[in-house]
Amino acid sequence: MPMFCRRNVLSGLFILALGVPAFSNAYQLFVANLILIYVLLAIGLNVLVGYAGQLAFANAAMFGIGAYATALLQVHLSWPFYFAFPAGTLIAMAVGLLISLPALRLSGLYLALSTLAFAQFTQWVFSHWDNLTFGAGGFKSPPISFAPLPVSKPVGLYYLSLIVATCVTLFAQNVVASRIGRAFVSIRDGDVAAQSLGIDLLGHKALAFGISGFTAGLAGGLYSQLLNFVSPEGFDLFQMVIQKATIVVGGLGSITGSVLGAGAIIIILELLREAKGAQEIVFGGVLILFVTFFRRGIVGSLQQHFRGWDEPLHSARPIGSALPSQVRLGEKESLS
Amino acid sequence: MLDIQHLRVVYGITEVLRDVTFDVPQGSIVALLGGNGSGKTTMLNTLTGMVKPAAGSIRFEGIECAGLPAKGFVQRGIVQVPQGREVWPSMSVHENLELGAVTRKDWPGIRSDMEEMFEIFPKLKPHQRKRAGALSGGEQQMVAIGRALMARPKCLLMDEPSAGLAPAIVSDMVDTILALNRRGLTILLVEQNIGVAAAVAEYAHILQNGEIAFSGAAAGLVDNPAVLGAYLGR
Repeated sequence: MPMFCRRNVLSGLFILALGVPAFSNAYQLFVANLILIYVLLAIGLNVLVGYAGQLAFANAAMFGIGAYATALLQVHLSWPFYFAFPAGTLIAMAVGLLISLPALRLSGLYLALSTLAFAQFTQWVFSHWDNLTFGAGGFKSPPISFAPLPVSKPVGLYYLSLIVATCVTLFAQNVVASRIGRAFVSIRDGDVAAQSLGIDLLGHKALAFGISGFTAGLAGGLYSQLLNFVSPEGFDLFQMVIQKATIVVGGLGSITGSVLGAGAIIIILELLREAKGAQEIVFGGVLILFVTFFRRGIVGSLQQHFRGWDEPLHSARPIGSALPSQVRLGEKESLS
Repeated sequence: MLDIQHLRVVYGITEVLRDVTFDVPQGSIVALLGGNGSGKTTMLNTLTGMVKPAAGSIRFEGIECAGLPAKGFVQRGIVQVPQGREVWPSMSVHENLELGAVTRKDWPGIRSDMEEMFEIFPKLKPHQRKRAGALSGGEQQMVAIGRALMARPKCLLMDEPSAGLAPAIVSDMVDTILALNRRGLTILLVEQNIGVAAAVAEYAHILQNGEIAFSGAAAGLVDNPAVLGAYLGR
């Protein structure tokens, strides 16, 4: 196996992540934790968009539902975080699945618009259902305690996020390498053929929505603890843009790409934080750069330059584009 | 084997298939011909559960199948090779074939069928780890047929397998269809290429504006004035 391969890079990142609390200050630990949360978001979104080809815009809403549900269960029902977190995750997955059901029969722009409408509706509920959500001003969520473990809250939360992100990465790697993952790709690449061979389109689309809702719910629960504050503005359209950017920059149809993309986008955003007004401009510029010159993302470039970078089922084309050039060339060859 | 009676399919207010009746006897090759918009692909999509009929019956081996989901048709042994091949370009040849057996769980059988596919289509064997999208049109057609065979069909529905292929490759395709039929597979072939249909089929039906305009022996189709009248509008 070559040194620079997917497995070694992921293992190296994991070892590096294990040591982060030892050599970082409070701010750097916060950023590292944020990266892990975005790894969760990017993996779920990539399963839905990159693998299953569903152009959905509801992930920021699912993220918000996970954060609100986890924090509100603690505030209103006095549940401890360790019960509220899995319950909040399941609520995010269930609500996401339920609201996504009408969207399952839609595709392309219609799916994008309907899920965007759902995201806007969720925002409205967060901002206006004052009795439940405390309205537009948001609310404080009770901080998690790791007692009797001898760790501070930031370090404990970081390792909890690392455990969750590692488990989700391994789970997602296995799912996409299984028959289910191939069925997702078959729906993305040609749903007529998929259906004609007996692949359950609606069932697999629902499963992809469920997985993305589940990971967004996990991310939301951890995010509510990272900030100890939940408000609607954290789950708006810009949040969706950031999440989409992680998978476009990392590589559509790649779990490793989700990990790398989440890291790259959060580091870029944090580096640009000082620049204030320039943040959006440079962020937009990075996106244009990737969409124009690196359409297969970081992973696509790694695949091109490192022979050992084996990435099965990587997206053959950016979402929404025509058939890949190889297919057109193939047809041309046979006609000549 | 496959018995279609008074089938009617409606899209909105448009009647696409009107009172279509024909059968596909076991072990035969039957051709369904027709021009663009005659209802051929709708016919195949209805026979594989992708389109629900408004009326009529689809009996396969004596069991009513109309209204079943697509998976039900595949499990009963009716599998379609879709128009334009529709291979999954980012997956390898091996993965395409493997996913053809998605409704099966007999793993040893799937593995041995995979080996058999490379015996039927030896040209695919050196390309099995290659992306299907990087293959030539003819090779992609082999992948599409192999993928359908992995579902272990009793009746294969082929939607214009010769479309977009060079004449030499069409000739290979004709040989493949005949070879599959010799292995006991019943085939319903939907074609625009009347020459291909005449070369392989025993019976032919011509669809025109959603209705069967001609039924008869496929031999001599090309010289039959009734066929030319119905199919070419002469």
